[in-house]
Amino acid sequence: MDSSTSVALEPLLSFLAFSLSQIESGFYRIPGSAVVARYVKSSHQNDPGRTILELILVIFAIRTLLQSRTRTDRSGKHFIRFSEKEIDELVDEWVPEPLVQPLSEWEQKDLNSVPVIAGPNGPKPKLLATGKIVTNLASFNFAGLAGNEKVKERALETLQKYGLGSCGPPGFYGTIDVHLDLERDIAEFLGTEASILYSQGFSTISSVIPAFCKRGDIIVADRSVNFAIQKGILISRSTVRWFDHNDLKSLEDTLISVEKDRKKRKGPLTRRFIITEGIFERDGEMVDLPKLVELKLKYKYRLIMDESISFGTMGRTGRGLTELYNVPASQIDMLVGSVANGLCSAGGFCAGSAIVVDHQRINGTSFVFSASMPALLATSGSEAITLLRNNPSVLLNLQDNIRAIRAVLEKTEGITLLGHRASPIIHFCLRTQQQSLSVTQSTYDHEAEERILQDIVDDSVANGVLLTRAKHLRGQEMIESRPTIRIAASAALTRKEVEKAAGVVKASVTRILSKRR
Amino acid sequence: MPSPMALNPPSRSPSIFKKKKSFSQLSSMTTAASYLSAVHQADTRARSHDNSSVSSTPALSLSSSVTASSEDTVLNEDDENNCLAYPFTPPTSEQVFTTVHTEFGHCANEAYRCVSKHDYSKPVQEHAIEEPPYYILLTTYISYLILLCFGHMRDFFGKRFTKSYFTHLMPHNGYAPLNSDFDSFYTRRLKRRMDDCFSQPVTGVAGRTIVILDRYSTDNNHTQIFTGSKTRALNISSYNYLGFAQARGGCADAVEESIRRYGVSTCGTRLESGSSELHASAEALVARFIGMEDALISSMGFATNSTFIPALVGKGSLVISDELNHASIRVGVRHSHAQVRMFKHNDMASLECLLREVISQGQPKTHRPWKKILVIVEGLYSMEGTLVNLPRIVELKQKYKFFLFVDEAHSIGALGPHGRGVTDYFNIPPRSIDVLMGTFTKSFGAAGGYIAGPKILIDALRLRGHSGSYAEAMTPPVLTQVVSSMVSIMGVAPSSQSTKSSLILSPASSIVTLKDSAEELPGMAPPSMLPTWMNLHPALADGSEARMRIRRLAFNSRYLHQGLKKLGFITYGHPFSPIVPLLVFNPGKMSMFSRMMRSRSTPIVVVVVAYPATPLVTSRVRFCVSAAHTKEDIDMVLRACDEVGGILDLKHGVGERWGIDEVCKRAVELVHSV
Ligand SMILES: Cc1ncc(COP(=O)(O)O)c(C=O)c1O
Repeated sequence: MDSSTSVALEPLLSFLAFSLSQIESGFYRIPGSAVVARYVKSSHQNDPGRTILELILVIFAIRTLLQSRTRTDRSGKHFIRFSEKEIDELVDEWVPEPLVQPLSEWEQKDLNSVPVIAGPNGPKPKLLATGKIVTNLASFNFAGLAGNEKVKERALETLQKYGLGSCGPPGFYGTIDVHLDLERDIAEFLGTEASILYSQGFSTISSVIPAFCKRGDIIVADRSVNFAIQKGILISRSTVRWFDHNDLKSLEDTLISVEKDRKKRKGPLTRRFIITEGIFERDGEMVDLPKLVELKLKYKYRLIMDESISFGTMGRTGRGLTELYNVPASQIDMLVGSVANGLCSAGGFCAGSAIVVDHQRINGTSFVFSASMPALLATSGSEAITLLRNNPSVLLNLQDNIRAIRAVLEKTEGITLLGHRASPIIHFCLRTQQQSLSVTQSTYDHEAEERILQDIVDDSVANGVLLTRAKHLRGQEMIESRPTIRIAASAALTRKEVEKAAGVVKASVTRILSKRR
Repeated sequence: MPSPMALNPPSRSPSIFKKKKSFSQLSSMTTAASYLSAVHQADTRARSHDNSSVSSTPALSLSSSVTASSEDTVLNEDDENNCLAYPFTPPTSEQVFTTVHTEFGHCANEAYRCVSKHDYSKPVQEHAIEEPPYYILLTTYISYLILLCFGHMRDFFGKRFTKSYFTHLMPHNGYAPLNSDFDSFYTRRLKRRMDDCFSQPVTGVAGRTIVILDRYSTDNNHTQIFTGSKTRALNISSYNYLGFAQARGGCADAVEESIRRYGVSTCGTRLESGSSELHASAEALVARFIGMEDALISSMGFATNSTFIPALVGKGSLVISDELNHASIRVGVRHSHAQVRMFKHNDMASLECLLREVISQGQPKTHRPWKKILVIVEGLYSMEGTLVNLPRIVELKQKYKFFLFVDEAHSIGALGPHGRGVTDYFNIPPRSIDVLMGTFTKSFGAAGGYIAGPKILIDALRLRGHSGSYAEAMTPPVLTQVVSSMVSIMGVAPSSQSTKSSLILSPASSIVTLKDSAEELPGMAPPSMLPTWMNLHPALADGSEARMRIRRLAFNSRYLHQGLKKLGFITYGHPFSPIVPLLVFNPGKMSMFSRMMRSRSTPIVVVVVAYPATPLVTSRVRFCVSAAHTKEDIDMVLRACDEVGGILDLKHGVGERWGIDEVCKRAVELVHSV
């Protein structure tokens, strides 16, 4: 037995010896190799440990060199050699553009017209510029939690125990028990396994998306998602397919075509995500959640849904679309919401399974690299959830007010109301032949419409109703939105006040538009 | 007059450090009670002095004053048999502190102060890296090798025998895994082993001490179980540089008032009716503080970088970024579509070389000149404790015409004789820098960030940055904390009608502060910039308390740096940096260090960082010194490091070594040497 194996091994061993000697002679043919060999030999003789160390060091050096992100293009074919003198001349000649272009006349006007509120914000704030009390149809105070005494009391209590700042990111002693409490409260409220708290609403989803979606993954997203989602998608470097705004038929077509593509290319199974919003920030449309969930399950996608507007406003107690449609929140893989909008505090959250949440605790950039939110804002959020839970009538009021506003504005000449009937944000734009939001640039004059809308805003502020245009970064959004005025309904106003305010808006619209004609 | 304290001094023998738990309930009661009564009596005495002239205010009375808010001194401590709750040197009757010792330590010794200021007679310190002995490097690599091997082996067998643990890492049910086993390898196999050292939940104020919620794990850190008990530990980990993380005191009072007045939210984005008068006044104040024409604030420090950098640069521009810049800067640059090049950390030669290359080569392929070049650096680097070589960069800026963006997240408040950051430290006019960014999370004990610069720039950013239109505005309580802490650093300028004499009569001004207020300070806050309802305590309003804090921070930082060096540790960073990294190299020692510090009789919580936040070999412990620490606290940290470092074989530094007792004794000398 023994001898037979050694016999079998013989040719192999001799082959090994032969190839080794071949390699050796080849190595010695390289100029300078003798020096290297001598060095290695002698150093090995002196200190065998050193050879290993050096070997490891060499491997690491090569690795880091290969990985280095700051590779210089010196060797590239586009590199031009210059003498030091020439470089000096080029440096002298170079004239950079200014760091920013100064504001245009319209931008300056836009900035100057931003309302500043004196004292607390709420249903009836005082404007700093005029000192007048106005009815607020602009600020996000959907459930009327702004200035709530219970919330204030809870915040004060927290202040006395925790101070204000957390002075550290969550990983390094910045996780305070009240953060864990709010995370648990949100998860329980929604009915998910867990949730994670970010310290700013806007930065939440733009950090959640790249935590999961990597290069090579597939994202299917609504064409009209909000800016934060666009930024998140951009940074994820995934392959994106867009479907028509709030059109689930278009979504299904896209899903089918993605599947076809994959079958054709026989690619590996990659992560696939559908990204959309519950209520769209840009126009107040609402997604048909049961159908969406059906599609996502059918095609095996994960769903990232932004409920920044719908959380705290929709459903019987403000749990959002999942409550409205009676869909278990666990069906939505990553449910992102805003504590700042819905709960009138600050920050955002992502709710989902424990795996989804724990993954973000290490990979959510704006979670890991930013200080956790002040304790008193977290407890204010918790208190707001308790209030929502215990007072379902608040959201009935909100719906009443939404209906009242829409009823008045629908009858107004010259504007078109957008969005879903139940949406707490109500956008309207100027009426033209084409009503779609994504009409091409050429069919309307963006800046002219903005100016008219701003006139309407100014006029209604002068008449005691605070309004705002929906502000967008022109040229930076993926598709340009039609300029709109965005009304945010609030449960803190009575039906009478709302009707009166809507009447003022209507009058302003009529006045400004008739002047234009 | 004998101090009431002297009659019943708390038993300060070192023995109580040793046996915390056995420290008898009774003796703790008497100590606490006697402390409180002492404080109370001293207060009464002080009140009677309140209206008298300054001459009767004892010279040693701390700049914190003795007036109305002295109820704050009464300790509302819930956890009492912990020696962290009482000052090492009991206060004399003359010394009354307005802070709670657990939040902000009592330290009346004026010798323990230092001024953070660049000495131009010496060259700017280069980022010197001390190398450990070979065997440390070798064992570090071997440790990682072993960890990797074991990890892969466990994965190999785990996938075959305990499938249920791996389902979420494998494709299942037609879904690709959220996180493949390969991507999460590091997290699962290396980080999880020391998860007990990260994300430790805490409660209360992240001040001088912090209360941690005790937890343990029975399943190798997969889940952590809370025991329900709490432990107060010395906190040398929070970014609480000036000690403004306080639940009591002038700033907290102001925040309280603002919550009553404004509630907790402004309900919207800055451009869409979420702007409050508080925003406007805070922005004006920040501009004044930084010494720039204008400033804007945003509700999150991370977002300040990630949402405003894209408004500065775009396609055709180049960003030159230090290789160790913070993640928020990287995200911002990626959002901007600008090209990025990196230079070696804080290496000005590398920067210049890169500048010459990029300007002469122009844009890749087309060779068109760059539209503009923005160099982004940090003032103080959060992992290294290195200070940017600002004088050199400003020189380069003149020559190469790039724009300069300095992220002062960690340096603002913490550096410079007036706490105005790196520009103050190097005495460089702030306006010679184009954009100064910083955060309020650190020195100010608040949240959010700012950008300061010329008005044209700031106005453009207000409108074109992402935050203005899309992100929630900063909330009133946070704004108030920012304003009150910042004003106290600046000091409120005496209003025009009140004369100098009123300042002298102020009971808070000790001799030290008088001398200071005579000094010309840059940008004191005009009273008109404060909200009318904000009544700051005199010691805060005249800036004396904050000056004390700035000096204490400088002393503590230098002391810890030099102390660790003298004990033989390898540290990084600038001697004035409040961030003091102590190199431990081996991954195994890192978690041991953290655990050993935490399980001492007086627990100390520390931050350990390793790959990927640092290069693979240079795992480290990162101390963040605060003005809230007393000299005795730093002694305690040094002593703990000395013991733990001896056991873990961490003392590989070169240079003269001192014993721990000598270090503690000669602290003042150490700080002023070099
Ligand atoms: C350099 C730098 N920039 C920005 C930030 C982010 O600040 P914040 O924690 O306030 O979000 C940090 C915080 O760690 C930082 O170190």
